[in-house]
Amino acid sequence: MTKIDLESINVILATDCGSTTTKAILIQKIDGEYRQTHRGEAPTTVEKPFANVTIGVANSVTEVGELAGRKLVSDEGTIIQPASDNEGCDLYISTSSAGGGLQMMVAGVIAEMTAASAKRAALGAGAIVMDVISSNDKRRPHEQIQRIRELRPDMILVSGGTDGGTTEKVVELAELIAPAKPQPRFGSEYLMPVIYAGNKDARGNIEDTLGIDWIDLAVVDNLRPVLEHENLGPARDKIHDVFLEHVMAHAPGYDMLMDWTDAPIMPTPGAVGDILQTIASQRGINVVGVDIGGATTDVFSVFNETFNRTVSANLGMSYSISNVCAEATLPNVLRWVHFDMDERELRNRVKNKMIRPTTIPQSHEALVFEQAVAREALRLAYKQHKEFATTLKGVQQQRTVGDTFSQQSSGQTIVNNMELDLLVASGGVLSHAPRMHQTAMLLIDAFEPEGVTTLAKDSIFMMPHLGVLSSVHPKAAGEVFERDCLVFLGTCVAAKGLGKHGKPCFTYSIEGAISASGSLNFGDLELLPLGQDEVATITCEPAKGYDLGEGPGKKVVREVRGGTVGLILDARGRPLALPDERAACQKTIEQWTEALELYPAASAPEPVGA
Amino acid sequence: MLRRHWAMILGLTTLFLATGTAFATAGGATGSDVAHEWNLLEELFNPKKTWLLIWFILISGVVVYYIRVASSGKDLKVREIAGLSAVDEAVGRATEMGRPVLFINGILDINDIQTLAGITVLSRVARTAAEYGADLEVPTCRALVMTTARETVQEAYLAAGRPDAYNEDRIYYLTDEQFGYVAGVTGTMVRDKPAACIYMGAFYAESLILAETGNHIGAIQVAGTAMPSQLPFFVAACDYTLIGEEFFAASAYLSGDPKQMGSLKGQDMGKLIGAFGIILGVLMATLSVLFGGGIFETVLVYLSEYMFGDDGFLMTIILMAGGGG
Repeated sequence: MTKIDLESINVILATDCGSTTTKAILIQKIDGEYRQTHRGEAPTTVEKPFANVTIGVANSVTEVGELAGRKLVSDEGTIIQPASDNEGCDLYISTSSAGGGLQMMVAGVIAEMTAASAKRAALGAGAIVMDVISSNDKRRPHEQIQRIRELRPDMILVSGGTDGGTTEKVVELAELIAPAKPQPRFGSEYLMPVIYAGNKDARGNIEDTLGIDWIDLAVVDNLRPVLEHENLGPARDKIHDVFLEHVMAHAPGYDMLMDWTDAPIMPTPGAVGDILQTIASQRGINVVGVDIGGATTDVFSVFNETFNRTVSANLGMSYSISNVCAEATLPNVLRWVHFDMDERELRNRVKNKMIRPTTIPQSHEALVFEQAVAREALRLAYKQHKEFATTLKGVQQQRTVGDTFSQQSSGQTIVNNMELDLLVASGGVLSHAPRMHQTAMLLIDAFEPEGVTTLAKDSIFMMPHLGVLSSVHPKAAGEVFERDCLVFLGTCVAAKGLGKHGKPCFTYSIEGAISASGSLNFGDLELLPLGQDEVATITCEPAKGYDLGEGPGKKVVREVRGGTVGLILDARGRPLALPDERAACQKTIEQWTEALELYPAASAPEPVGA
Repeated sequence: MLRRHWAMILGLTTLFLATGTAFATAGGATGSDVAHEWNLLEELFNPKKTWLLIWFILISGVVVYYIRVASSGKDLKVREIAGLSAVDEAVGRATEMGRPVLFINGILDINDIQTLAGITVLSRVARTAAEYGADLEVPTCRALVMTTARETVQEAYLAAGRPDAYNEDRIYYLTDEQFGYVAGVTGTMVRDKPAACIYMGAFYAESLILAETGNHIGAIQVAGTAMPSQLPFFVAACDYTLIGEEFFAASAYLSGDPKQMGSLKGQDMGKLIGAFGIILGVLMATLSVLFGGGIFETVLVYLSEYMFGDDGFLMTIILMAGGGG
């Protein structure tokens, strides 16, 4: 790959090869700033009869070219580089999640320690973790071997032991893989890549055990050299390399695509993680991003520069919708609906959505129900994320006598909603909601942000493109992310704490783009108009027992950003609690629905049986 | 066993009621007859301890009730104790680092309740160590503790399905001498550098020496003792400390034994009654001072002298009414 002169780049082309659609975007330098100008898409052609991913890429790029009035694909079907007056691009990059993305199996000695670190490394690199094997996973060796044999991972990551720590247990893990001989997805000629990122003293033994003709063993630095420190970088980089060398090289047409690109092709979720990390680092903020799909929900978070990603494999809005309803239970889904619904009809609706995943709600009732399911899917996915994104376990604590009655255990979640600055949404149900107000309310109900949090959505799911771009041209990625990628919905100001309905929660006064003042009682929700690109300063004085970021009862002064929805003042308390009684719950939801103007044109349907 | 509990409580209550009835029927007798009856009764039952009997019946009843609840399979909620979940973490750390887990069962003999509670925790530690494949080392200060520890650990390894991994040579007796034992243990710590040190039992002056040595070698340390004078040292030097009652609660929780769990819950109820009594007493004393005695003073006297004292209950009142007091 040749060295790129960043200053000379004026036209950037980026594609994301998804399982069904290949999306292309064009970024151009306009008046010294990088802006996303055109977008096109075409069906992905990785499966038969085409069996060549570059056909879909060329089709989507051709569409972009036609829209932009710029020839981007040559007559031979390749991307034209470099850019000239009205032709070609200076930089071409791509991500891929076609064919199910990158599927991995990870192994570590203790599930909560090295195995958890290995899982974090794999997820951070954009993989789907099929299973985690560890010495304490309560499975017998023959069961573990059987499980590894059943899985068909694209690669395996083995970790375990600190440097100078256990070798016996690590070798035991390797001895499970060797006899299992998992079959790769890409045929018998494919060498199974195994990355070893464990105790350096065990490398020799690992090479002896896994030095088999069907395994391609790669050794990198230990991801837990000491238990107090996690070193995920080398393992993540190696996963990317192996993804390109093995997985991509065996997928139809990817060898050609790799020749076209100016930067390594990245797994789509890995690229999303990269852009969020870049933004969090550039601005010094804490970010949470969510991508809710049909089968899975990805949650990304960057808190105090620590990145975490989780994939909730059974939480989605079409293929996994039944599982969402089963896991959340139908009464929990229905608590978000402000009118009566027939449960039997709802069950039919759920199953229909599962077997016809591409259908979209055709009625107000169907939309409200789908958004209720989305709230629960997001809530459960975020709960799983909080449980996974924790401080390291197995670390020595430093105590003083003052800790006598407050000894906190390690492994506490690092996700703190009060410190969250930016919440970014993507995925069909969030991105394509008829009103932005609905997207904002979905985010607030599911994630329960506390204090002052900016809400945004990814306009056209551009984050993967920008993620890979950030590795080549961080400035361009940052500019496009700010100006074109994110659609700011507004800011949510929410008080933490619980109280009695109707009692004062907090008072506020706003100055800047708008001037307003008032007070909210517990249970209230208020929407103030604060438009796109408008900024105001809000001063809030919470009542005793409520916290807005400075501690219970303490005054807060913050700058808030407007958006397509506005400024949302939320005095419903945290954790968010809904009345148990159905009629009271409906009434509460109806009040909130009206307060945020969620469904202004729609009237509630006739009661069932009327 | 449970039936025996109930029978005992029922028997004592019947005895109490029968005594009261006999005494009441003697109301028409002469003063000397009453005094005679009273002396007979006093040999069977000390009326000054009436409230003690009531508390005994009440708290025992609650304990028996919770034992029954626990035995029925219902999950009794025990507050999460950080030190308890840290045991798995400590053993996990030892496994990852390829170093042993050191378990110290205190320096008292097996007849001490803290040593017994420590043995219950040892059972859990041994089981986890067997499951994780970590080495467990238990130097003891008393021969009987060593024998008990060996039995316990062997059983735990068997329950974990790893009887082959059990090595009785790692559970050994050092010396009865307090500082001789400490010297031996700290020597082992410095040489073997265990990744986890767990102290569960009765400790005296050696607590800080052990905990500081463990801290120095970088081990995760979990301590549990009911010795108030040693707790500050453990809190300051260890990662997690089970304080006093927490230690026994942990023991009950880990054993999962319905009798221990029910007793734990029942004792908590007893403590709740005690705490309520203290709050009521303080309140009455304050109001008595503020409003110059009256009803508050009477309630306070009844609380301190009768309910939580030894001035009796019905007997005294009746005796006073009959002029016998």
